[in-house]
Amino acid sequence: MSKISSPFRHNNNHWLIHAALILIVFISMVPIILTVITSFKLQQDIERTPPVLLPCDTATQSFDLSACRWSLTGYQHVLNPAPAPKSLLGFKINGTLISVYLGNTILYATATSLLVVLLAVMSGYAFSRFRFRGHKALMTGILVITGVPLLTNLLALYQMGIIIRKSGLPYDDRVFIVIVYIGLFLPLSVWIAKGFFDAIPRDLEDAALIDGCSRLGALFRIIMPLTIPGMIAIFLLTFVNVWNEFLAGYLLIEKNNLKPVMFGLYNFLGENLINLQVIGAACILISLPIILLFLYFRRSFFIAMVEGSVKG
Amino acid sequence: MQQILPQENRRKWFRNSMPFWLILPTIIVLLVVQVYPLLYTAWLSLEQRQQTGWSFVGIQNFKLLFATSLFSDSIGLTIVFLVGHVVLTMIVGFITAFLLSRKIRFTGLYLTLLFLPWVLSQIIAGEIFRLMVLPDYGILSGILQNPALFPPSGLSVLTASPPTPWFGSFPFPPSPAMVLLILASTWRALPFVTLLILASIQLIPLEIIESGRIDGANTLQIIRYIMVPIILPTLVVAIFSLTLNAMNGVGLIFSLTAGGPGTETQIMPWLLYSIGWQQLNFSGAAALALVIAVVNLALIIGTLRVTRVEEASN
Repeated sequence: MSKISSPFRHNNNHWLIHAALILIVFISMVPIILTVITSFKLQQDIERTPPVLLPCDTATQSFDLSACRWSLTGYQHVLNPAPAPKSLLGFKINGTLISVYLGNTILYATATSLLVVLLAVMSGYAFSRFRFRGHKALMTGILVITGVPLLTNLLALYQMGIIIRKSGLPYDDRVFIVIVYIGLFLPLSVWIAKGFFDAIPRDLEDAALIDGCSRLGALFRIIMPLTIPGMIAIFLLTFVNVWNEFLAGYLLIEKNNLKPVMFGLYNFLGENLINLQVIGAACILISLPIILLFLYFRRSFFIAMVEGSVKG
Repeated sequence: MQQILPQENRRKWFRNSMPFWLILPTIIVLLVVQVYPLLYTAWLSLEQRQQTGWSFVGIQNFKLLFATSLFSDSIGLTIVFLVGHVVLTMIVGFITAFLLSRKIRFTGLYLTLLFLPWVLSQIIAGEIFRLMVLPDYGILSGILQNPALFPPSGLSVLTASPPTPWFGSFPFPPSPAMVLLILASTWRALPFVTLLILASIQLIPLEIIESGRIDGANTLQIIRYIMVPIILPTLVVAIFSLTLNAMNGVGLIFSLTAGGPGTETQIMPWLLYSIGWQQLNFSGAAALALVIAVVNLALIIGTLRVTRVEEASN
């Protein structure tokens, strides 16, 4: 973000600004830092009253770095690894949170994101390049639809799921939930995609058409390569949204072993009411993949978010 | 006269209808997942389950809903929550964005670190905040439950009863649990709002600020009379979008307070969940869902009007 110029040239108080920003960033990091610390504690240190911030005190000293009692028991409890000589890493993860629910979420998030990118690119292109009857009404309609409260959708979709299951029609929880996720996260993506297509000059396409390229040829050879950053942004935003989604997966999927990881976590919380290190470890393990994803692709995320909200 | 071949005709028809085919899949998915549920909910809100099946009861469900004290309580709670959440997020978000817009180093790093809470899911965000104030074990409860700091007997955020309301039955000042909920939701929404405001500050032409400075305006005056009027549409969009998200998210409440203690954090979306899936009263939930949908619709139309004004003025 540094290449965008600042509206202020006179900066005599750099250090004050840095200090203020560091303070804000630190305060917003405190909950995360505390969770990380908690996740490495021993049960005996968690149950102490009054609670201690760092488990580093001894009988005589209040802080002694060499006496710190860090432990991985929380992570062990979540992963529940067992030695399995035949597997690739030499052990097998038995914790259901990872072995069952995480896989489901990866499947749903990947499938949803790919399809959302496909549909958003198709309709974003149509909205950006064609003028047709009902153009504006449809665009507005797609936006207004996002105002339907999630719980309203779920109310009807929940009943729909029950009816389809009863009717004996071919039904799969996984297909159903992916369609629902697509419907929930598509509207915003269409707007983002349209914004990206609008930013590509039409002349480029016209030149290709004059040179004898077909409309579809121009789309795939000229336009698509330029929209790859936009497609990545939509993919990532949808991926994170599905990863973090809780309610739809919790209510709409009938079979427990097909539910997503956020349900697994919610379930897990109920089983470990006072094992705070286990809860902390579970939260961190589940957030880590998307945090890394975000850190690596942060520019894409920022672009997509600004695009989606300012245009919307 | 050249004869038009049927094949060419067909190709032309296909080319003209291409936008339709491109949009069709999107429309189908949205009809199933968004439009049908809305119509179904509207129908459901006028029906009630009898032993013989569903029967039409008119506005009976709405009458029942408006008559319950849970609903009227939740209106007050929702207002307190929304106002607290939106005001706090906007103020901190504006200050942060303003600081980040200065020409200094590390702004990218600050913004990235600031964004970590946004990446976490609502369930996890709620749980992280609950862990901090959990009675006896939470790290902050050592401070909060100290009777010397919070007389008479210390503060247990998740179980404390609400203070006496100042204005009749309006739940103000908010209960400790509500304050915690506001803080947690602000924590998670702050990065997004900061980014929005930052992006629009960076679009302000330098000359305008510069000329203001030459005319002798100080930084506060520049903010008040130059920046805020220019980015006003973005601020309004941010306020609407914060409200919209807060009106629809229950994930945070799920893991943080579950509507409790008692019904102190039972804001409207949570009440909807509770009526629908805890009491399994789908008709009542549908009536409430429509009430929330109307509020949402007003917010979205408001956003559209603001962005349209912005486009017209550009």
